[in-house]
Amino acid sequence: MATPSKDNILTVNELKKSFGGVHAVDGVSFEVPRGSITGLIGPNGAGKSTVVNSLSGFHPVDSGQVTLDGTNVTNWPSHKIAQQGLIRTFQIARELQRLTVFENLLLAPQVQPGATALEAIFSRRKIAAWESKTLGRAVALLKRFNLFEMRDEYAGNLSGGQKKLLDLARALMAAPRLVLLDEPMAGVNPTLAGDLQAHIRDLNREQGITFLLIEHNLGIVEALCNRVIVMAEGRILAEGSMSALRENKDVVNAYLGG
Amino acid sequence: MGAIIYYLLTLAIFFAIYSIYAWGLNIHFGLTGILDFTYITFVAIGAYFAGVAAMGHAQPMGMGGEYILGWNLPFPVSPVLGGIAAAILAALVGFVGLRRLRSDYLAITTVAVGQIVWLVVGNQTSLFNGWDGISGVPQPFNSSLFHLSYNQYQIPFLVICLIVAFIAWRVAESLTESPYGRILRAIREDEAVAAALGKDIFRYRMSAFIIGAIFAGVGGALTVEYIGAFNPSGWGVLETFIVWAAMLVGGQGNNRGMILGAFLVPVLFTEATRFITIPGHPLLMESIRGMAIGLLMVLVVRYRPQGVIPERKRVYRLNLISQETEDSAHGHAVEG
Repeated sequence: MATPSKDNILTVNELKKSFGGVHAVDGVSFEVPRGSITGLIGPNGAGKSTVVNSLSGFHPVDSGQVTLDGTNVTNWPSHKIAQQGLIRTFQIARELQRLTVFENLLLAPQVQPGATALEAIFSRRKIAAWESKTLGRAVALLKRFNLFEMRDEYAGNLSGGQKKLLDLARALMAAPRLVLLDEPMAGVNPTLAGDLQAHIRDLNREQGITFLLIEHNLGIVEALCNRVIVMAEGRILAEGSMSALRENKDVVNAYLGG
Repeated sequence: MGAIIYYLLTLAIFFAIYSIYAWGLNIHFGLTGILDFTYITFVAIGAYFAGVAAMGHAQPMGMGGEYILGWNLPFPVSPVLGGIAAAILAALVGFVGLRRLRSDYLAITTVAVGQIVWLVVGNQTSLFNGWDGISGVPQPFNSSLFHLSYNQYQIPFLVICLIVAFIAWRVAESLTESPYGRILRAIREDEAVAAALGKDIFRYRMSAFIIGAIFAGVGGALTVEYIGAFNPSGWGVLETFIVWAAMLVGGQGNNRGMILGAFLVPVLFTEATRFITIPGHPLLMESIRGMAIGLLMVLVVRYRPQGVIPERKRVYRLNLISQETEDSAHGHAVEG
């Protein structure tokens, strides 16, 4: 049993979710320690994506409890969970095509003057002040992710790898407490994957951002995560460091291969 | 006043009103991506409520027929009431349709709502005098202030329309170019991404739906106070698609494009051709007009899907304030 504690930013307790007769997630419990990069791996169909969607409020769970930084957020709608500080990315990068790279970032902050219709009409000066302040932050992030030159390009025109970078940059712009990365390296060339890996490590070290990383590239998982959770068939199979998991027979049989 | 000038003034009035319609539908579809196929219903509800609010009490067995309200309200109040009525209808439709339905099912729902309202208004004569409709809606300020003949009244009414259109333009532009508009465009592009960034999709779509309906209602109010009469033959399904054609041709997502679209489709194609007569069947011209609008839509969607004036790309001007720290930058949005 996982119990919510101050050192865990996320606690998942006995999570269950079925689709029809399929128990996609069948009683999953784990924690994500604050300030960690925790890995979540497992074969296709293990239930990782269902866990991600349940944690981020994209579909309701059948039973179980999700506690985010001391708050029970089980079955909250996705926007409320995001407002609570859990920001997710998507397996297939979902850029907002007809918004520029800059606009993708400006969208992310939770509190924005002018985000309601009345403010949009009546407080234009406040909006301009906020935007000029926020642009600085956006510029810093874009430079960090090598997207600065593309800032005024429509996000739909970026390459696949750049879209992945934008997805991460946009998540960070929301000032998250926990970032849920759903296969950030999928479809990304090795050089860019190395860059992404470095970005994640640096953000974790410099800014203390906690990551839950769902990933098939085990080399990157090993390099980044001190703790890795293995899922198979809707359950947690094992937990520990990557090197310990490589010695674990169940894990080898279910996922790593012999 | 010459017939030509009178006619041009009529076109100018319709131009202003149709621009307001197009801005409203642009908030629904161009900005937020809500497939609203019953936009004209919000126009009609605004027109009816503004009309009966401006008219005097219905006389029993009288000439004007049966209708509700009859409050004799003065001009700026009656269109506000029309806007509120349209907003309430939008809230009701939105509450049912915007919470769970995907865009295509929402589109079907809007068509159904339009048919229901149309049939109820037509058959329930005690509301707005049924199929015969309301007539004798007083012209704004005319009995109290101007005392002008119908012909002379064109100019002051055009001024009223231009003032209302200017306010509507400012509101539409403020919404489009604000963080609010950016969130609506994000929802249009991908709801899931917007939700994952903490935006309450239902609330935003609902507010955009209501605001767009207010544009429709206020435009409808101007129409009824200009024509003086309104009945169900004036707001069939086809009328919705004239506004749609204006939006698609002009350039969805662009308020300037809406002005161009309103000029090209309803004014040039529909109104300006009204008095062209060609030999043959009396309805020939009307059929040709319908075909021409259809052809125009096909051509635009095929060859210029973003419309004649596409959505503007927002470019941010950066003025680096400090050369040492690359990270600090200031800037503000400029039109690109």
